[in-house]
Amino acid sequence: MVTARRVTGTIAYVALSALAVAVVGLLPMDDYTIHILVQTATFAIAVFGLTVVLGLCGQINLAQAAFFGFGAYAVGLGTADLHLNFWVALAIGAGVALVMGAFLGMTTLRLGGHYLAMVTISFQQIVTLIMVNWIPVTHGPDGIGKIQRPAMFESTHAFLGLCVFAMAVIGYIVWRLPQTPLGRSMRAVRDNELAAGVAGINVYRVKVAAFALSAVLGGIGGGFFAGGFAYVSPDQFSFGESIVFITMTLLGGVSSPVGALIGTALLIVLPESLRFLKSVPGLYLAIYGLSIILIIRYMPDGIWGFVQNRVRRWFAPAAFTDAAAELTLAPAKTDAPMALEIQGLSKHFGGLKAVDDVSFSVRRGDVHALIGPNGSGKTTTLNVLSGIYAATAGRVVLSGRDVSLLPPYARTAAGMGRTFQNIRLFRSMTALENVIIGAEHPGNDIGDGHAALVERARAALAFVGLEARAQELVTAFSYGHQRLIEIARALAGNPTLLLLDEPAAGLNPTEKQGLRDLLKRIASKGLTILIIDHDMTLVTEVAERITVLNFGRHIADGVAADVLRQPDVIAAYLGSEPDASALA
Amino acid sequence: MKIGMCAPVTGPAAESGRYAQIGAKLAVDAVNKAGGVLGKQVELIVEDDQTTNPGIVLAFSKLASQTDIVAFLGSIRSTQLHAMAPDALKVGKPVMIGGTDPALTHMGNQWYFRFRPNDSYSGKVIADYGVNTLGKKKWAIVHSTDAFGTAGGKALTEALGKISGASIALDQGYTNQSQDFTPVVLAIKQSGADILGSYFTFENDLGVFARQLRQLGVTIPYVGSPSIVNVTALKLAGPALYGTFGVADYAEDSSPASKAFGKIYREVAKVAPDNQSSWTYDAVTVLCMAINKAGKTDPTAIREAILAVRKHPGAEGEYNFDANGDGLHGYNIVKNENGTIVFDKHIESAS
Amino acid sequence: MDLVLQLLFTGLGIGAVYALVALGFVLIFRATNVVNFAQGEFSMVAAYLMVVFAVDLQWPYGWSFVAALAGMALLGAIFNLGVYYPLRNRTFLPVIIATIGASIFLANTVLALYGPQPQVLSGWFATPGIQVGPVYLDSQYLLIMGVTLVLVAFNFWFFEHTLLGKKLQATSQDKEMAALLGIPVATMIMLTFVYSALLGGVAGILVAPILFVSIQMGSTIALKAFAATIIGGFGDVKGAIIGGLALGVIETFGAAYISVPYKDGFAFLVLVAFLIFRPQGIFGERVAEKA
Repeated sequence: MVTARRVTGTIAYVALSALAVAVVGLLPMDDYTIHILVQTATFAIAVFGLTVVLGLCGQINLAQAAFFGFGAYAVGLGTADLHLNFWVALAIGAGVALVMGAFLGMTTLRLGGHYLAMVTISFQQIVTLIMVNWIPVTHGPDGIGKIQRPAMFESTHAFLGLCVFAMAVIGYIVWRLPQTPLGRSMRAVRDNELAAGVAGINVYRVKVAAFALSAVLGGIGGGFFAGGFAYVSPDQFSFGESIVFITMTLLGGVSSPVGALIGTALLIVLPESLRFLKSVPGLYLAIYGLSIILIIRYMPDGIWGFVQNRVRRWFAPAAFTDAAAELTLAPAKTDAPMALEIQGLSKHFGGLKAVDDVSFSVRRGDVHALIGPNGSGKTTTLNVLSGIYAATAGRVVLSGRDVSLLPPYARTAAGMGRTFQNIRLFRSMTALENVIIGAEHPGNDIGDGHAALVERARAALAFVGLEARAQELVTAFSYGHQRLIEIARALAGNPTLLLLDEPAAGLNPTEKQGLRDLLKRIASKGLTILIIDHDMTLVTEVAERITVLNFGRHIADGVAADVLRQPDVIAAYLGSEPDASALA
Repeated sequence: MKIGMCAPVTGPAAESGRYAQIGAKLAVDAVNKAGGVLGKQVELIVEDDQTTNPGIVLAFSKLASQTDIVAFLGSIRSTQLHAMAPDALKVGKPVMIGGTDPALTHMGNQWYFRFRPNDSYSGKVIADYGVNTLGKKKWAIVHSTDAFGTAGGKALTEALGKISGASIALDQGYTNQSQDFTPVVLAIKQSGADILGSYFTFENDLGVFARQLRQLGVTIPYVGSPSIVNVTALKLAGPALYGTFGVADYAEDSSPASKAFGKIYREVAKVAPDNQSSWTYDAVTVLCMAINKAGKTDPTAIREAILAVRKHPGAEGEYNFDANGDGLHGYNIVKNENGTIVFDKHIESAS
Repeated sequence: MDLVLQLLFTGLGIGAVYALVALGFVLIFRATNVVNFAQGEFSMVAAYLMVVFAVDLQWPYGWSFVAALAGMALLGAIFNLGVYYPLRNRTFLPVIIATIGASIFLANTVLALYGPQPQVLSGWFATPGIQVGPVYLDSQYLLIMGVTLVLVAFNFWFFEHTLLGKKLQATSQDKEMAALLGIPVATMIMLTFVYSALLGGVAGILVAPILFVSIQMGSTIALKAFAATIIGGFGDVKGAIIGGLALGVIETFGAAYISVPYKDGFAFLVLVAFLIFRPQGIFGERVAEKA
């Protein structure tokens, strides 16, 4: 979306970068300064990679030095041993890093958190071992010397200019990335992985992309580093260096390339100017270690993050001035009479049968409620429907299409939308961005381009009554309003079937009234709703049909009024009036 | 008159950096007391190389930016010397080095002057002593897999290859900081070797290895690279290293000059001297001598003067510079007799 | 066969060291859901404390041991107050990085105070080892194995059969619930860190006579110990022990039969294999997030 803001930003960036390149390229400086600046620029490129994978996507990568090393060795071996052109060698290095990064990203299919950290550490250690021991190829601990630079940039000074230019270009890409669909997906995955999947994002593919991108940037940085220092050896690409990269990211601010640059510059320049501290062995590093702890404690967003938090208010985008469009929901994708059919669905957790052979159908256009006591399997059923859990047995058919084996994002593309019992919004984003993500999945026919997405999102927000505050962070909204934003996010995706998990939970009576009206308006648009809730007043007012679960099995299913009169439903869930005689 | 010195003040080699500085400063004091260089007092400027490659590049370039520095002392670590070689070439002033990778003086860099015998000599001397003096022909070679260990192991293998009757029963590399050497020791036992040669980089590895060697009953003669007689190694391994031989570029009893150095070093450092400090002492002494002889600080003149040095009695041995910049061409063999290092003989190498 | 037996003994010996350190990891993880990257430094600091008391001050070995452990208890408490507790409500990544910072701080403070030279610490026994048939049994390794067994037994008894142990377990499983039941959660966490520091300290003091006391001694062991906990099953105590022993044996045999320089690589390859095919390790349970 081209706004005046973006254009001004880009112009400012280009101007600043041109100035920087000119200054470093033309200003006479001694070798010492040039070496430091080359190190800063090339490290910064690698740290930009961490900004992407860690800052934007929230995945931990403790192997960035290994990718840095791939690029460095590619350029080193390529130019010194194989006499390739620098750019060819650099491309090879970036390519190898890309493949390795994607491979590492693929491990995220099964792992997250600490396990992912351990995988990346192990990968790093194995790479270091290979660099040191595979002597015929890598020259082992001797390292590689006589690394060449590209033609026209042979002088150290000129090469520095090239490095700064590369850094500026890559910095721009990383700067703009958060506002692209991929960047938005990454941020969604970081903020709330489950919600991202359900909103239509292929979480696994996004993580692999993040790792791959991070690795490529690491490799490019390493390639330029090799050209700059003309000699590389394995000890420069060890686990310790990965930690240095992470520290640089955290110090400056993890989610922004500006922060990355600040952190990198500080951690390279500072030790140089603090050389006097080096007189006592260990003193400088002890202070370094202590500073890491202090930064984490008192400046978790890093230096730049700290600054950004302070000035955020003045740069917040203004609210929209024109009116939002009317929300169109196009629920009928096929002519199948049943929006949803559940056949013999079971979900067992070891010996626990949370859902046991449940079958029912939801008619197109109905509001269908799923009720039952706590622990009866309602939310588990919904999670199986969304694809968050794999069913132990049974089938899920959405508008005549069997979706039983599809992952969450594919079911969203097929027409499912849902909200969560514990609100799962993307907390770092505005209401508008949250809803845009809901709209932004394949299979949603709303027209091309960012403008169409914004229009759709605004329409959805207007439908729930919150369009006036679209540009505010979701954390600024009350609990009840956050619930509405979540619903708007689901609606923006044009679902055939809307799954609502206890939407009334935590709402006060006024808010519940509003919710009830909203549900009725949604239903009046022809959308099919499956709702779980405990508030029987709400349920009786909106639901046409009810299914009752108890201990994982369905004990009743049919027209609302009938079901509510069944004795076993009353016994299991609704309760009866206390026996007057017993109280006397 | 300023001399720049890159030394590891921080990082894993910080200890050796301290000794190197003491050696250099002792030489500076001696030179200044004798009148200085070209009439001026010598000043030593030290920059921390952090024991890393980028570290020494930065340290060197920082020193090089001070244009009144006439010459430099580099590192004892070959990998660092490789890293700073392009810059040294560009600066075009003499650099005194202590690293033993033979390639350093054979790569077309005219500004490196080496003050320790390189590893092609250590390999030859170990082989010579083991086969010709100790009479053992079936060798087991254990070496670390870093630059130093790999080059050393290779040098020893090549030297043995040139001696008829000598064979290599085992060539075993290990990674630094291994913590356990049982597999290596068992491999030595199984190979049937009757003599052991080694290139160990770190003393704590050597300590663990030596102990396990003795625990598992290996008693064959053992000739090791210089770390085997370092102060730290002796302390850590204790009795496990009694009776072993080492090639030492610095051996206190090998010459009057080395004894004299040992005496003044002990007074200042309070510990026995070893090769970490002797080479810097010799480097500063020879450098100042060369500048005085050349009569000016022009780099080419200094270079010629250094290369012309013949029969200079240094702490490390007698310096005769060859055209490549190597000053020493032999090693001392020393023996560990119940904890005391005793000088046995000096073996000069033909080439 | 002699070869195999000797390798087995050494493998179990070094494995027992990994197991002890791993135990410390697991306990902190169970209580706080945090991986403590400074665990190895706990071992290193304890070894240096022993050197200060037993070698520099010439105190009797036994008293030095007690004093060193007292120091470790104090360190564990300070660590908790300074590093973990202020960050207890943040996500795991800042805490991991903070513990990494702590490990750098501890290693370099010791370096600044004591200098870079490795130190020698004598073992507990006067005789360095005994020869049983073809196999040499290093007495310090025997001690390590023995102590590990005792500590594992103690651990089991303490956590399963004492009230304090059960309270600690409750805190580790559900902090909020434990607090609601009247368990002083902050105290429990403090105790966990102190106990973990003690365990790490014991491991360091036991292994120092074999590996020498150096600044780096902690980090090399800790990484392997961490790998061991994952192989055994993260969060499972017996998994940590089995994982540590298994890792020691795999490494030693791998070095002997495949390649000595790539010895460290085996540990990581095994780890990666587990992480890909069975991330819950041998004994762990899959924990799913509640949607």
